[in-house]
Amino acid sequence: MEIIFKNVTHSYEANSPLEGLGLDDVSLTIHDKKFTAIVGKTGSGKSTLVRHINALLKPTSGSIMVGDREITSETNNKNLKPLRKNVGMVFQFPESQLFEDTVEKDIMFGPMNFGMSESDAKESARKMIKLVGLEEDYLDKSPFDLSGGQMRRVAIAGVLASNPETIILDEPTAGLDPVGRKEIMDLFKNLQEQGRTVILITHNMDDVANYAEEMVVIHDAKVVASGKPKDIFNDNKLLKNDILTLPRSAVFAQKLAQREFSFPQLPITISELTTEIKRQVHGD
Amino acid sequence: MENIISIKDVTYTYPESKVSAINKLSLDIHRNEWLSIVGKNGSGKSTLAKLIDGLIESESGRIIVDGQEVNEQNIWNIRSKIGIVFQNPDHQFVGATVEDDVAFGLENQGMPRDEMVKQVDEALAMVDMQEYKTRDPQSLSGGQKQRVAIAGVLATKPSIIIMDESTSMLDPNGRRTVLNLVKQLRKQQDMTIISITHDIEETELSERIVVLKSGEVVQEADPKSIYNMGSELIKYGLEEPFSNQVASLLRDELKLPKGYLNEEELIQNIWKLSSKM
Repeated sequence: MEIIFKNVTHSYEANSPLEGLGLDDVSLTIHDKKFTAIVGKTGSGKSTLVRHINALLKPTSGSIMVGDREITSETNNKNLKPLRKNVGMVFQFPESQLFEDTVEKDIMFGPMNFGMSESDAKESARKMIKLVGLEEDYLDKSPFDLSGGQMRRVAIAGVLASNPETIILDEPTAGLDPVGRKEIMDLFKNLQEQGRTVILITHNMDDVANYAEEMVVIHDAKVVASGKPKDIFNDNKLLKNDILTLPRSAVFAQKLAQREFSFPQLPITISELTTEIKRQVHGD
Repeated sequence: MENIISIKDVTYTYPESKVSAINKLSLDIHRNEWLSIVGKNGSGKSTLAKLIDGLIESESGRIIVDGQEVNEQNIWNIRSKIGIVFQNPDHQFVGATVEDDVAFGLENQGMPRDEMVKQVDEALAMVDMQEYKTRDPQSLSGGQKQRVAIAGVLATKPSIIIMDESTSMLDPNGRRTVLNLVKQLRKQQDMTIISITHDIEETELSERIVVLKSGEVVQEADPKSIYNMGSELIKYGLEEPFSNQVASLLRDELKLPKGYLNEEELIQNIWKLSSKM
């Protein structure tokens, strides 16, 4: 499903002295079946933006089209289930929302809430637990006996079990060890390659460079850039104004550029970086 | 070196769990040291932090903090010396506004109001959150909450700070700011820093790295020696430092020297090759 934001503004605590803008006249298209990363400083409006996609927040003005469903300030809370079934959201620290007494019941809760039969939900739980890298015997355990990283995987399995077309991930790997982080990121990339739309909020610019096809930069509640990561990470205006930080490969290249190396375009992945270093050292 | 924390043969098993989360672990932490504790998710890092702060009680062994054994009798005294910033900031808010929240720890210490207001303002300024002082903490973003939680701990001027993945929600610049702040406070206030992290680059600032696996200390050395372990680090759930990863991909073809090269050393090496000296 294509997602289109049209002039979306969202004010927090509207008409109170604490009124603040969460989103300021945002227009944006998130393409169907692509892997899109959303980046920006702490508090810039990233989470506010994605919460509009499944109507957890509604715009103060403007509209969002999610496929053929329109969300405006008038949208009421009835009939949101089909939308929320199709747009799965993995929140920050999703493990804090686990509540059932077994892992299986926790994973089954979402799909059954969206009308899946018990036997189908069981089957889905079995598939999903393996997909997120845990053995089937975890299904009988209490989620509260698991480590933080394992709980995170269970929570992700619970969102995937409803088989959403669009998956929104709000810093899904914060606090995971690097090996676990890579496994989870590879999983999301796989899901996208199988035909889903993946939207990832992250502070990790290496993940953006390694996994995302499209990138959106938010600053002070506005979308200030969107496009291919390679182009955006080479946008001097964004870098100069301290709006964006670079992947580690690009930072390394900048340092080499101070010593006789030249990079017409900064490399953003480690393979781009090392290929370019070899080429320049060999003097081609 | 004087030990501010001494852990001897400590074992802890979570209720209803068959394996111990911490297994006969011994570790000394020196006064004013910056110690990093690393290891996979589930290796026992956070459990160890909770044991030190007396949030859970060990089943055997002893923990001494600043000369006092962690037990029921000393617990409040010990906790007043330790500030912990947890990974998920949602779990640590009690106040209705950001400033109330930061003041909470100081109120517990019985600080007079005037002084408290001053310290809260100072702490919020250090993490660049003054303008949010009257906001409801629940209305903040994950990273902003993490900053407030850090301010709350700094305000109480603890002699030991335990940071449990507490920069995980910050953007890269925010993370640098917080780490520099901690570095500076450590010097000024003679603090001991225990940093639990997965970020290998963050451990560069520390003097010593302890690697945990299945509740045991499996490696203990200065950062450079740990980084020298190269791809072996992966089996402890860690990543090689970035300069190592780059060097590995270039080493054969550019005939780079063996062993760990930090970023500057690697750049020097590559530069020498390209300028054909």
